Amino acid sequence: MLTPAPGAPKHDPFADEALSHLDAMYGVACKLTRNPTEAEDLVQDAFVKAMRARDQFNTGTNLKAWLFRILTNTFINKYRRGGLERSVLDGPDADPLADGWVSASTMRQLREPETLALMPLVEGEIQRALDALPAEFRLAVVLCDVEEFSYEEIAQIMGCPIGTVMSRLHRGRKLLQRTLYNHALALGIVKGEEHPGETVASEAPPRLADYRARKRGAA
Amino acid sequence: MTTHDCRDRISLLGSYLDGELGAAKLIELDEHVVGCETCREEVQLLRAMRGSLKRVVRTSAPSSFRDRIGNAMAAERARGDAMLERDAAAFGPAVPVAPLPTWRTLVPLATAAAIALVWGAATRGTQTATEARAGVIGDDLLAELLSEQSEPLPSEASNAQGVRAFEKYVGVPVSPGNFERAGAHLVGGRILSFPMRAQRAAMIRYVVGSGADERHLSVLIYDAQKMPEVGRANLAPRAIGTAEVRVGREKGYSVAATQRAGVGYLIASDLDPEKSAELAAMVYNDR
Repeated sequence: MLTPAPGAPKHDPFADEALSHLDAMYGVACKLTRNPTEAEDLVQDAFVKAMRARDQFNTGTNLKAWLFRILTNTFINKYRRGGLERSVLDGPDADPLADGWVSASTMRQLREPETLALMPLVEGEIQRALDALPAEFRLAVVLCDVEEFSYEEIAQIMGCPIGTVMSRLHRGRKLLQRTLYNHALALGIVKGEEHPGETVASEAPPRLADYRARKRGAA
Repeated sequence: MTTHDCRDRISLLGSYLDGELGAAKLIELDEHVVGCETCREEVQLLRAMRGSLKRVVRTSAPSSFRDRIGNAMAAERARGDAMLERDAAAFGPAVPVAPLPTWRTLVPLATAAAIALVWGAATRGTQTATEARAGVIGDDLLAELLSEQSEPLPSEASNAQGVRAFEKYVGVPVSPGNFERAGAHLVGGRILSFPMRAQRAAMIRYVVGSGADERHLSVLIYDAQKMPEVGRANLAPRAIGTAEVRVGREKGYSVAATQRAGVGYLIASDLDPEKSAELAAMVYNDR
């Protein structure tokens, strides 16, 4: 069926299809490395490896998941020798507060129009909160919420059981929520919870003007 | 519904939103979420966060970068084809080479190595579907071994006894003696971890010769039943006597691989390729 003329196989369906996932790979690589230059190197390594191992890819199966698995594996071997697991032991996995409890009214406030009006600010905060997550949580959340992989695909990509995917997702999202909540609290967008000690520090929310001044000072 | 019930249920709301619940749980949560303000808000918040995350993460790769990747992939493809042709030309029919039997590798080789191909197909058969499926992450063991050879990490053991103790982490016998009998001197070793595979492998470093003739040798010992496909993508099969080995050159090192009794051996060295292949054959024959 496919017999390219010797010396002239310019059109390469495998490379074309792989390249159609470049934006997704690049976006996730940026989140993994938190550095655009390193993200470019990581993505290039992954695509070259994919090319080298293309014989092992079963045509008709999920190329995107296969590429992401190579990306993840390359990331671990290049930047995180020793693997992802280690950091979890010292990370928020050991933090019981990750399962924080926020009331319905607070959650509603978090997504209300006046909060949305502050969206650039909130999205900047999400960006920071995401960057602050341990890599395994960050990757699970991004693969699920942004790239919409199934749990089974994420388990294959990350090389862990589905149960681990679920717990990483749950904890990652809870940590994001908590950061967002703390941020909204600091901005005065939401009122403190009635049982503050359980989820967040119970200090009085600083005034918005003070908060913004501090942000400007830090930037 | 009491708050306490929701606390138990709230960890399921993510799976609910992700469409990952079974039918029974899905129906149960559907009914619950309609009547429970807290859980409804949790789902809405998760949904809003998902939207924000998409906006934050999604990005377009710069167009110059897209070109760079396209070129890198084309170069890699050309490199792979050239390597196969060069091996076929170098070894020729006298020392047969059996390329991986796929249409893409067969086409460029068809004229150069027709005889070798017939031998290869007849004696080695084709790669099984299981092996092909297992190969999704390809040459990560080889890549790690090569990075150990070029930029070694500190040793975790410095003698044969210490290296043998890696067995309990690796799951297969780690016997450093094979290479010492061939005149290689053990200088250290460490465990390499492959979290994507949930596997570990033992890496042993040897020195061969001394002075200007000193050569370095790194051997990776791994569970070949768990990782049968290691080396297949990059190394060409060779027969040395009755031994089945694979050989190739990667990043300036000669690489050889073999498997014996469920244990895989991957060798990277600055020895000449024939010597590496002989070492692999020696391990294969060490029964």
